[in-house]
Amino acid sequence: MSTRTTASSPALVRERRPSGLPRPAGPGVFELLRIGARGVAARRLRSTLSAIGIAIGIAAMVAVLAISDSSRASLLASLDRLGTNLLTVSPGQSFLGDDTALPDEAPSMIRRIAPVQAATSTTAIDATVRRTDWIDSGETGGISVWAAETTLLDTLGATVRLGRFLDAASEQFPTVVLGAVAAERLGINDLDVALTVWLGGQWFRVIGILDPLPLAPELDRAAIVGMPAARTFLDATTAPTTILVRVDPSQIDDVRAVLGATANPQNPEAVQVQRPSDALEARAAAASAFTALFLGLGSVALGVGGLGIANVMLMAVLERRGEIGLRRALGATRPAIAGQFLVEAVVLAVLGGVLGVATGTIIAAAYADSQGWPIVISIVGVAIGVGATVLIGALAGLYPALRAAILPPTDALRAS
Amino acid sequence: MIAGFTPQPPSMPDLASGPEPVIELHGVGRRYPGAPPVDALVGVDLTIDAGELLAIVGPSGSGKSTLLHVLGTLDRATSGEVIVAGADVSRLSDRRLSALRAWRIGFAFQHFHLLNGESALANVADGLLYRGVSGRERRVAAGAALERVGLAPRAHHKPGQLSGGERQRVAIARALVGRPAILLADEPTGNLDSVTGRALMDLLRDLHASDGATIAVITHDRELAASLPRQIDLQDGRIVADRRTVATRPSSGLS
Ligand SMILES: Nc1ncnc2c1ncn2[C@@H]1O[C@H](COP(=O)(O)OP(=O)(O)OP(=O)(O)O)[C@@H](O)[C@H]1O
Ligand SMILES: [Mg+2]
Repeated sequence: MSTRTTASSPALVRERRPSGLPRPAGPGVFELLRIGARGVAARRLRSTLSAIGIAIGIAAMVAVLAISDSSRASLLASLDRLGTNLLTVSPGQSFLGDDTALPDEAPSMIRRIAPVQAATSTTAIDATVRRTDWIDSGETGGISVWAAETTLLDTLGATVRLGRFLDAASEQFPTVVLGAVAAERLGINDLDVALTVWLGGQWFRVIGILDPLPLAPELDRAAIVGMPAARTFLDATTAPTTILVRVDPSQIDDVRAVLGATANPQNPEAVQVQRPSDALEARAAAASAFTALFLGLGSVALGVGGLGIANVMLMAVLERRGEIGLRRALGATRPAIAGQFLVEAVVLAVLGGVLGVATGTIIAAAYADSQGWPIVISIVGVAIGVGATVLIGALAGLYPALRAAILPPTDALRAS
Repeated sequence: MIAGFTPQPPSMPDLASGPEPVIELHGVGRRYPGAPPVDALVGVDLTIDAGELLAIVGPSGSGKSTLLHVLGTLDRATSGEVIVAGADVSRLSDRRLSALRAWRIGFAFQHFHLLNGESALANVADGLLYRGVSGRERRVAAGAALERVGLAPRAHHKPGQLSGGERQRVAIARALVGRPAILLADEPTGNLDSVTGRALMDLLRDLHASDGATIAVITHDRELAASLPRQIDLQDGRIVADRRTVATRPSSGLS
């Protein structure tokens, strides 16, 4: 093959040496990124494996943060909807340890407290409910019978899923409304045909099915009849078991303080006052303990991932001594060599980070969706996650990069 | 720029007063510490002028690579004075020496040291990477340099797809793409068969004759050394002979 050329060299680059001593001009960050990305791409399998540790850590953190955010958002949304201004009043034990009862007039007394917006009474009835009369009376399916006033739904802010609730007419008759769970356990899903259930030795007509009641979960498992019907057909007394009280939100504590004396003037200390939304709030708080655990596990995975990257970079420095020597011969300064390996480590880590953010987001979105929660992905959280990987990559790459930089060029060139 | 055919020996066009030294060594020694210490170079005096083409010969272990590293500022002398492109190397920081290499010195090695993941063009372009030249300019210059060594059609091949001779040409193009003051080649034919090695030496002679490149070639092949205008004999770290021969080859070209 001939290499002679006739004309001499327009080929070689034009003369452009600086006069005097040349100044060092390293490749810029962009150039280093390009070199780093190429270094990562050249060892695809190894790079992927070493980035997986970071990816797992970031995925765990992003997923658990997003899941807990979504679950909290859903709880808070339902609290918003249900309100935190509902109190329940129930009889407790007297000073002497006896069970007490609330007087029949307690609901009307409570309604007289000015900041009380609504109060409604419910009474547990000693009866069983079954689909038909030939099912054994022991098989209650955990369904209890309650009597309630027609104002129950308005006070709870609850809705019927099917049919309608008790009204002034139907509360007089043997009609029943089923809680969500009770309907399911009785196998009643629709009211297209007239249905009756065997309740306390009577046939009761089913006129409605309720949506779930987060603030009164005991009624989800209840068959609810009217107060007059309970007295007439079930021969029951209807002293209040639980009184649900809706209060002006700004005066909850004041009302709370006087509820005992108002409901049961003879025995005020035997009255229990509770706030059901507290239980929901406690659940939102409890989720964060779980979150902390997963964040801890995620950061352990990140640490392990960082070590993996440090290890891979150290190997790369040993394997690529020839390249290091060559770059020094081409004019790379020590900082330029260090920068190259540092950037490569950061590229690896960020690769893992991006993979992790994507995986974590998908997991969180799928989970939130399955729970019917709103999907909440915090952009700040994602940014912090990716920022953390930059930091981890820089930390992991620091020692290998310094090793590469201080390698004498002659040793590096003799190595291969 | 050099235009047309250049007479031999070529002179730098911007110099009216004859060639000026590219590298000067005065009493240079390089001692590797140890027990006992190894004196790889002892009292070396050597001046290489712009436009020279010379061979450094010697048996294995005589200190040829050490000398090349000292000439190229990759290694520092432990005694004596090294002046490269007018600058006293011992006074320069690592940063300054790196810049000196980036702008003034080109290297070629026995094992090519090409980056396997990159095309021939990208490898040659890397010769300008540490000058702060833009990527586009680097690629343009690299294309021209590849053409100069006769490898333009191979520009987009990876080193793994090239023969040994072609790889060494890529390495030579990378060393010369920035027009350094001197090309230092450490046994460039060491990994090539004799025919390919001779072709590569022809290329170096042509680069010297046509483009006025200053080239120092390390070899332990005396016959090859004898074909170059100047030979420096190294033995146990000492220069034992420094011969100049009349041009042994005609001027290059197709004439
Ligand atoms: N890092 C080192 N530490 C100690 N001694 C060294 C070191 N590097 C080289 N030497 C010694 O210096 C002497 C010169 O080595 P050098 O590599 O320059 O020889 P060379 O002429 O290039 O040999 P070859 O033809 O085999 O490449 C040898 O004796 C070698 O063992
Ligand atoms: Mg050698």
